Amino acid sequence: MIFTVRPRNGIFMVELDFKLKRVWNKYKKFFIGLVVVLIYYWALGGTDVSIFNFIDGIPHMINFILRMFPPDFTNIGKFLLKTIETLQMAIIGSTIGALVALPLSFLAARNVMPNKIIYNSVRGIFDIFRGINEIVWGLIFVSMVGLGPFPGVLALSVHVTGALGRYFSEAIETVDPEIIKAIVSTGASKTQTVVRGIIPQVKPSFINYILYYLENNFRSATVLGLVGAGGIGMELLTSMRLFRSNEVLTILIIMVSMVLIIDKCSAYIRKNVINIEVVG
Amino acid sequence: MQRLQLNDPIVLSSMIVMILKIENLNHSYNNKNKSVLTDINFSVKQGESVVIIGSSGCGKSTLLKSINRLVEPVSGNIFVDGENILDCGLKKAYNIRGKIGMIFQNFNLIGRSTVLDNVLNGRLRFNKNFNTLLRRFSADDYRIVRESLRKVGLENYESSNVDDLSGGQKQRVAIARTLAQEPKIILADEPVSNLDPKLMKETMDLLKKICEDNNMTLISSLHFLEFAKRYGTRIIGICDGKIVFDGNPDDLTDKDIVDIYGKTEEWDLYGRTGF
Repeated sequence: MIFTVRPRNGIFMVELDFKLKRVWNKYKKFFIGLVVVLIYYWALGGTDVSIFNFIDGIPHMINFILRMFPPDFTNIGKFLLKTIETLQMAIIGSTIGALVALPLSFLAARNVMPNKIIYNSVRGIFDIFRGINEIVWGLIFVSMVGLGPFPGVLALSVHVTGALGRYFSEAIETVDPEIIKAIVSTGASKTQTVVRGIIPQVKPSFINYILYYLENNFRSATVLGLVGAGGIGMELLTSMRLFRSNEVLTILIIMVSMVLIIDKCSAYIRKNVINIEVVG
Repeated sequence: MQRLQLNDPIVLSSMIVMILKIENLNHSYNNKNKSVLTDINFSVKQGESVVIIGSSGCGKSTLLKSINRLVEPVSGNIFVDGENILDCGLKKAYNIRGKIGMIFQNFNLIGRSTVLDNVLNGRLRFNKNFNTLLRRFSADDYRIVRESLRKVGLENYESSNVDDLSGGQKQRVAIARTLAQEPKIILADEPVSNLDPKLMKETMDLLKKICEDNNMTLISSLHFLEFAKRYGTRIIGICDGKIVFDGNPDDLTDKDIVDIYGKTEEWDLYGRTGF
């Protein structure tokens, strides 16, 4: 018998048979492994992933890469200007997003906002903003304000507001309540407690998230160009469509260099502003 | 008609200011059946040093945190300098709370910031919200903060990062923060539990001296009996949320100690035979 019915506290409870429990304990790892394998089999089946197709495609990829050399620097001035535009989009988009997310995140932190309606509403807005990809926001804003970097800035701002808002509020929820008690015990008001008790605790995380999103937004801003939202992405798309592989390489070199420069700047800020030492 | 003299005991007793009065204080946490504090009643005079003793979980911390309303008691009255902190609006509560400084077991300092910045938090009740937003404090605030740091012997550490300080130094920063608040009462919730014996004595000596010099009332919770006897002018013993002893340290008998800590083999751990 698999199930037994036994009275407990006056109520008849259905319990898994002891033998079945023993079997489960013995083969638990096997069953879990089987389920994991089945999930991957199902996911791979739906995506046409094939190692043979990949190997067959390697000569095409090598051919494509070889056609890119040598890089064509004829239009480098124009590309650099467009890269600067992309960087400007990333900076403005990240700044607007962070400025909007900062006050809203306090409304979406359970330890600061006791009102569940406000808390859930703001969290919901954050989820919608970050749940929709920047490219989709880009398409929406291109149809709203036309082509150019402005819809790109709007798309990045909205997405960053959602993402940073969520991360900021989670950081606020993890502050040490004992430190807050110490500030409250001095007779500080709620505003003072937030400014002197919560913000100093979350500041390193906030700076880290903003820098991460600045780096991320430069890459996203590049992709946004593909949907007509300005920047170097539009140039990349044009060169690819016209099969100017040598120009594509030039643009990729500029983009990678820019990502490395931003990465170095972020590391410098992290080290000197929030005193995070790089291990190793 | 007899004229009353200033040194007359009747006149003197009427001049003694009761800085704290607790009436019928009761508290229980989420589980309403289990009472944490039951019918607590006592008054504390200005300048008195009261030590609350009792085993872990008996309600010492809850009692201290009720005094400045960090814990909202279920019922009762707490009069601080004549004002009931449990029966007033939020703004009034901030004001009353400002008169009560608190020192915590784990120091509760803001990490990654300087000693000066931490002690400045003691001046928040004198600062407007707008100025706090702009990180602006008056010259008077800075003068009082530096004076507080001098009193705890940390005048040369104001730009040091608190993370770089030792446990004893951190607790002195916490004491300076409390002093900067210019309180009438200092609550010390197991202030030396995280320190080694030498630092425990140094910190308690410092706290006692500061309170005596400034005529402040000190209410501390301590684990060790000998410490309680040495630093308290009065001892309140709590067992299961009820006051079971309230009196002079010299009046504490073995029977009282058993009432507070339970079995003798347990209270021996708290330093019956001397520290």
